[in-house]
Amino acid sequence: MTEGFGEPQGGAPMSRVDGFAAGGPARVSPELAPWLRMWAIARRHAYVLLRSPHRLFDVTVWPLVDTVLFGSLGVFFARQGGPASAAQAGVAYLLSGIVLWHVVYQAQIAVSTGFMEETWSRNLLSLMVTPLRELELVAGVALFGLAKLVMGVGVVALAAFAFYAFDVTTLGLGLLPVIAVLLMVGWAISLFVVGLMLRFGNGAEALAWGIMFVVMPLGGVFYPVEALPPLLQPISALLPTTHAFAAGRQLVDGGPMPWGELALAAVGTVIATGAALVFLAWMLRVFRRRGYVTRYS
Amino acid sequence: MSDVLRARGLLKTYRRGRAVDGVDLTVRRGERVALLGPNGAGKTTTLLMCLGVVEPDGGTIEIAGHRLPGGRSAAMAHVGFAAGYLPLPERLRVGEYLRMFGQLYGLADPETQARRGLERFDILHLARAMGTELSSGQKTLVGIVKSTLHDPELLVLDEPTASLDPDVARRVRTGLAALCEERGTALLVTSHNMLEVERIAQRVVFLSAGRVVADGPPDQVAARFGRDDLEEVFLHLASQRQASEHTEGLRP
Repeated sequence: MTEGFGEPQGGAPMSRVDGFAAGGPARVSPELAPWLRMWAIARRHAYVLLRSPHRLFDVTVWPLVDTVLFGSLGVFFARQGGPASAAQAGVAYLLSGIVLWHVVYQAQIAVSTGFMEETWSRNLLSLMVTPLRELELVAGVALFGLAKLVMGVGVVALAAFAFYAFDVTTLGLGLLPVIAVLLMVGWAISLFVVGLMLRFGNGAEALAWGIMFVVMPLGGVFYPVEALPPLLQPISALLPTTHAFAAGRQLVDGGPMPWGELALAAVGTVIATGAALVFLAWMLRVFRRRGYVTRYS
Repeated sequence: MSDVLRARGLLKTYRRGRAVDGVDLTVRRGERVALLGPNGAGKTTTLLMCLGVVEPDGGTIEIAGHRLPGGRSAAMAHVGFAAGYLPLPERLRVGEYLRMFGQLYGLADPETQARRGLERFDILHLARAMGTELSSGQKTLVGIVKSTLHDPELLVLDEPTASLDPDVARRVRTGLAALCEERGTALLVTSHNMLEVERIAQRVVFLSAGRVVADGPPDQVAARFGRDDLEEVFLHLASQRQASEHTEGLRP
């Protein structure tokens, strides 16, 4: 009856070691296993980037385009007249804004496209049937995203220095907490985008890029809240990016460490991240309940 | 005799209706079970619920002593899964793909396990090939190697030999046979190839309209329906299902 198969084993009991069959392959400790899983995901996405030249656009071409666009805008308006110091400050605001904006952009895009890559390659079901936890998947993608972020922001900073003699490092160590806040904001937006993709499928992919075009004008990247139409100012004031970029501009002006703005940005970021995690957990529940995984298998 | 998979009273309703209606499914250690039924019988939904991918509306699932959904991560360390319809990710070589999954399963030396797995199915030469360069048969074999890297207690295969030529299908069966013999791995297989099921499975569970309609050794199940083999049982259940759908369609 059973070609190639022996007679029924009848479930012969096997000796167990740490819950696994004795004589099975050696495993890492339970404490190390989550880190190994995150590393596996990060490494997988490194291969994707290396073997997909078009993916390098996100970390090379677009940062370069943004720097030239906003840098040249600043230079043009500076040449229209007015006090030289104000004009110079305007150029510096635009260039520091675009450098810091790419922290948010690269952090968000890396995680969102990392998740999309698993749906495009129909790998999601295979991943879900391993010990990998959902947050480990996100963390693994974000881990490699840090490398992309360094590349993308590095390109912007180098281009700003090479083309417009703007050295972002002169803003000092005060830049580090601003970058930390913006990094967290980028990840929080990406969790929200991933949640939408879980719920609405690949149709929500456009949001990965589109949402950034909403955050950019409202998030105080290049100008303070007061520059916006009055109707939009309350929304802008609620966004943590608005306060983080305001802190960045104070550093450009050579002012003291802007702890007040940083504190507002940090509180807003914690709330946004918490809300994004709750939203993601909710969408994941809907995803499992409605069997949406079959969209990707 | 202990159970590696124990599902009780599984229920699942989608918008289009009830997909799974009170299914009980048990797979004992080392046992080879086939989950069968016509299209729409509830096989895939049952399988996905047992794998923790789809949340049941009711019922309980336990794998290797871990209760889902809370123990999903721990349970999946004991499960391997492959499906004939799943592609290999692009932009990864076979060796890289297997190493990644070995690491996801927590293996200390995934490369060695990958090499052993590729040797078992006689495809070691594919280790450096890109996933996109493989034939469908080679992809299936690599998928099965991936699912067995960690010597799982339960191997779940969804249509493992669909669209394979007879030679590759035989290699799949032979490789699985060796694995089951050596490691006492339990198998839960779905297939529309009844001849293959008769060769592989010790026990078959037939689903129809989301319910278990037969559960036992293949010859006994066939006899219970007064048929000569499983293919005839399958055709009988499929025709019943079609007749039922037709009747429902005629209702005012």
